[in-house]
Amino acid sequence: MRFTRLIPRALVALPLLALARAEDGPYPSASFSGVWQGNVTNATAGDGVLGAFTLEAGGDLTWLQAVDFSTMLSAGVAATADLCTTFGGLDKISAGPRVELRHKLGLGPYAPALSFGIEADGAAFSDSERSHVDAAAVARLSQRFDEALQLVVEANAGGYAANHDVFSGSYASLGAALNWDIDETWRVSATGGWRDGDVVAEYAAAKSSTGWVPIDTGAYHYTGPRQLVRTFSEPFIAYRTTAPTWSWGIGVFPAIGPHTSFALQYTRSRTSAYDTYVNDLVSAGIVHHF
Amino acid sequence: MKRIAAAAILAACIVTAQAAGIVRVVTRDPAGRPVGDAVAYLVNLDSPAPVHPPADPVAITQKDQEFSPYVTPIVVGTRVVFPNLDTVQHHVYSVSPAKRFEIPLYIGDSKEAIVFDREGIVTLGCNIHDWMVAYVFVLSTPYFAKTGPDGTAEVPGLPPGRYRLAVWHPRAGTVSRDLVVAGSDDTTQVVSVVLKPDHRIRRAPDAAGAGYR
Repeated sequence: MRFTRLIPRALVALPLLALARAEDGPYPSASFSGVWQGNVTNATAGDGVLGAFTLEAGGDLTWLQAVDFSTMLSAGVAATADLCTTFGGLDKISAGPRVELRHKLGLGPYAPALSFGIEADGAAFSDSERSHVDAAAVARLSQRFDEALQLVVEANAGGYAANHDVFSGSYASLGAALNWDIDETWRVSATGGWRDGDVVAEYAAAKSSTGWVPIDTGAYHYTGPRQLVRTFSEPFIAYRTTAPTWSWGIGVFPAIGPHTSFALQYTRSRTSAYDTYVNDLVSAGIVHHF
Repeated sequence: MKRIAAAAILAACIVTAQAAGIVRVVTRDPAGRPVGDAVAYLVNLDSPAPVHPPADPVAITQKDQEFSPYVTPIVVGTRVVFPNLDTVQHHVYSVSPAKRFEIPLYIGDSKEAIVFDREGIVTLGCNIHDWMVAYVFVLSTPYFAKTGPDGTAEVPGLPPGRYRLAVWHPRAGTVSRDLVVAGSDDTTQVVSVVLKPDHRIRRAPDAAGAGYR
């Protein structure tokens, strides 16, 4: 019990310790993007699939500490603000620290690099039952094959604790990105990923003599936590379940200078629980490193 | 007698000075655009001239996480220092056969100068910032110059004789031709250089993607 209480404190203390010793920094960066999510309710087709548009603004500060000539410790804090123009309940602000140790296995741009890190975050939604704290362990392998081609493979394991149990959970994921730099300006990226863990599926609800019930009786297969939510334009019942999600995507990143680039991305994900939930994300944004 | 000897020596110096030629090299790509950062050098085919490295070291700086200059021609035996003008540490290295070295993690002046003691091309990098690259061209002839943004370079002080003129650029390799320098010639050589596409490692950041979680 004492050990579990220590974990969140360690997640905050670790990056602060790294920051205190850091020689280089802070290095700030900022980003701004618009995101369209086609199935923000994570509903089955024909039963309450709703799309939403969100504006996201983010800021980040990073400190660096060289451990040796091949190893770099970085620590940082990031904060974001989301404004969902469709459903105000999904407006949120979040902030959290991270720490990462990166080791390059050799000299030069073609040596592989291994990273291990911990990230933590606290998010406050307008719909307060969705507010949560979360943490994740991240491992990453990066390999550049030539000036144009780079592969990044990343594994994550994390958990999140929300105000309502239905929005809490844990997960593990594995993803890869293949980056192709056509030239110094244009990058094209292909991504693929797998995630297994808790997901929230929302079913449109109707009032019955016994209270709110899902219109789609398939929802009765879910025996985990559930909650009536009024985040959307009509009542939904949120169910927590465990399911795998496969995703793939493409992105184009035109640079508009050595410190700034645009990002245009599309991602499709498919969750296979008792029902199948398909989500499309389209985003357009800009990021600048100061 | 002394005056006659002094006058003869002075005349000999003047003749020698007047006998040194200048070769002006103009580099152009096939579209006629000037090619900067090309190293033009001449090797005397009759009697190669000795090289004398400068007493002071040559500096290749790091500023805004880039090397400057991009191309540095030097003679064998020259000392080079790598002052870091950034607030971030760099780890300068080279694995080129002409000079392998590492200067790990420093800010400000590098602790020691690196002596480039073999002829050849040395590619510099930073192990922390993969996009950083520069070139050191180590020469065994004292007759060289680097083209500026206008694509021209002047190589003065050439004694009469047969020479091999070579022009090297990181994206083109070497183009060469033989020529004769006579007396106080002041000649212009136009050299066509075909540049490969400039493909360096991308420095611009990726925007953090909005992904499904």
